[in-house]
Amino acid sequence: MLKTRLNLSFFTVLFAASAVSAAVPASTKNIPTAPDLSGFAAADMPYDKGEAVLVSWPAGPADVPGAVYQVYASSGAAWLKAEEFPAEKKFAADFELPFWAWSHDKAKHAVQLELPQLFSDFKTGMEYSFKVKYVNGKVTAESAPVKAAPKADLFNLARLNNLVLLLVIIVVFFWTVSHAKRKGLFIRRIAGLDAIDEAIGRATEMGRPIFYSTGIGAMSSVPTIASTSILAEVAKKVAQYDTQLKVPHFDPIVMTVCKEVVKQAYMEMERLDSYRDDINFFVSQDQFSYAASVDGMIHREKPAACFFIGHFMAESLLLAEVGATTGAIQIAGTEQESQLPFFFTSCDYTLIGEELYAAGAYLSKEPMLQSTLKVQDFGKAFVMVSVITGSALVMLATWLKWPLVLKVISHIFKAY
Amino acid sequence: MSETWMIFGGWVAAGLTLFLFSFLYKDNPFFKATEHLYLGAGMGWVFQTVLYQTWIPKVWEPLRAGDFYVLIPTVLGLSLVTQFFPRISWVSRYGFTFIMGYGSGLVIPLTLSTDFLKQIGGTISPFLVSEVSRATFWPLLNGAIVAAGFVCVLVYFFFSVEHKGAIKKASTVGIYFLMLYFGAAFGNTVMGRFSLLYGRFDDLYKYSGAKYFYATHVILAALVLYFVISHFTSRKKEAEEEAA
Repeated sequence: MLKTRLNLSFFTVLFAASAVSAAVPASTKNIPTAPDLSGFAAADMPYDKGEAVLVSWPAGPADVPGAVYQVYASSGAAWLKAEEFPAEKKFAADFELPFWAWSHDKAKHAVQLELPQLFSDFKTGMEYSFKVKYVNGKVTAESAPVKAAPKADLFNLARLNNLVLLLVIIVVFFWTVSHAKRKGLFIRRIAGLDAIDEAIGRATEMGRPIFYSTGIGAMSSVPTIASTSILAEVAKKVAQYDTQLKVPHFDPIVMTVCKEVVKQAYMEMERLDSYRDDINFFVSQDQFSYAASVDGMIHREKPAACFFIGHFMAESLLLAEVGATTGAIQIAGTEQESQLPFFFTSCDYTLIGEELYAAGAYLSKEPMLQSTLKVQDFGKAFVMVSVITGSALVMLATWLKWPLVLKVISHIFKAY
Repeated sequence: MSETWMIFGGWVAAGLTLFLFSFLYKDNPFFKATEHLYLGAGMGWVFQTVLYQTWIPKVWEPLRAGDFYVLIPTVLGLSLVTQFFPRISWVSRYGFTFIMGYGSGLVIPLTLSTDFLKQIGGTISPFLVSEVSRATFWPLLNGAIVAAGFVCVLVYFFFSVEHKGAIKKASTVGIYFLMLYFGAAFGNTVMGRFSLLYGRFDDLYKYSGAKYFYATHVILAALVLYFVISHFTSRKKEAEEEAA
């Protein structure tokens, strides 16, 4: 009996002890613990123009729901709260930077601070102080202040894919130039450009002027540059046939460049005596004033041919429609896909985007320009191959669950 | 603004709108006057924009604050004006060279980024699905159609290859895709233009009220009267010329 009672007491004590020992860790689990913020660091944000600082610190078990981190910055006086976010957010892995330029670490908090938004007297190169504070109810922790100075970076490693692509294009360009000089290059027929002769011939026969508009683009825009090279060829033919050419301009810089281009064309055709300085003339730098004025001129002078080649926006239809009502033969070309439908409906020939860029090479037949066309074609082939293989690889990687392949492909074909 | 000025503004707005619309019938002195007024007002607007948004904040104020580095771009910009003086017009080439240089420098990386990488990434992105299953079949098919159309359109823009055989077929498909897009873009832009037209009609309706002394009606009637008189006088002139 006594033995039975002793056994019962022993097991009761044992059970109670085990219950107590199990309960102690459970109660300590609910008590929030402060994180160790000794790893807090601040440094210049890489690959930027010198306005941001990157603060980082290790993530830990204290990053529980309800807890927040507050990041503070100071230029020497008071501390300003720069960021506040839930503790289970903002990791180095969240940064949209490629794998070759950034370590996507999930065990590290990282925050990019744009300092001009915080300090009105911000200066690149000046040293600023930073600290981070952890708050979870009554549990708080604060890091020691650290200093960092933002500086501008000359090289953006994230754009390494751009650089590699550029280098490949340069190599291909030099190869095609030498190839074009040795063997010549084939260029397919472009109807819109073949019609230039027809338009100028018509104007010569009718004794009416030719209007050539380069659009409303600046000299730095590619379509305007392409347009000036077409203008050069048109001007050569105009000089040859002694026809009247009128080039109304929106941009004074484009006008000055076009003056040189037209003059050069007349010189090449040995017709400098026919060249007049008022072939190119400035109209207005206001889009619709330009359109209204050129419309009026076209309506009154009734040209035999109109060229609208370059960068056009809403004025495209206003110009082309009036040209069509006068019965002029019209050749248009722009890279603006939203304006192309209007040119299709109101012009006889339309150069679509890339055809505009091909015009210079097509008309002049110069090996150097023709080789640039070949380079463009190589570029298109590269894009096609990349799209086909990239899509196939992505599908395969999704099917076979290869996250690394997916990451590599999505990072390589991304513009940073 | 006083009531009188409001009414005056209404007459000017209605008048200029109707004068510009009169071009739809034929060229006339009212349209010419409005065209030149528009041209002048447009240039005036551009001039004040350049003065207050470029010259004063970016040249004048930095110079007054002692920042003489702004003189470098200013002198380069002013060099373009030498085009008007034939003896020193060669100076403008420095400005132009700089403009062409920085223009190319800006455009080349941007083109690589947008025309190549963004285009490829954008075409591949529909294939980045969580798993290949029935649920993702339609988005994948959509992505495949877009990718195929994209490749065919690129084939159309191949200039150094003769378009015959398979290349011709692919480029024809590319043209169909382009036309589909252009059709949609045309419809979209026409809708936008109509909304602008409604805006003008709305204003004309507003100015046709008694508050504006029937500005729209009066000006429209005057225009019609002018066209009727001009029609008969021009016919009379033509008849006299023929008789002579």
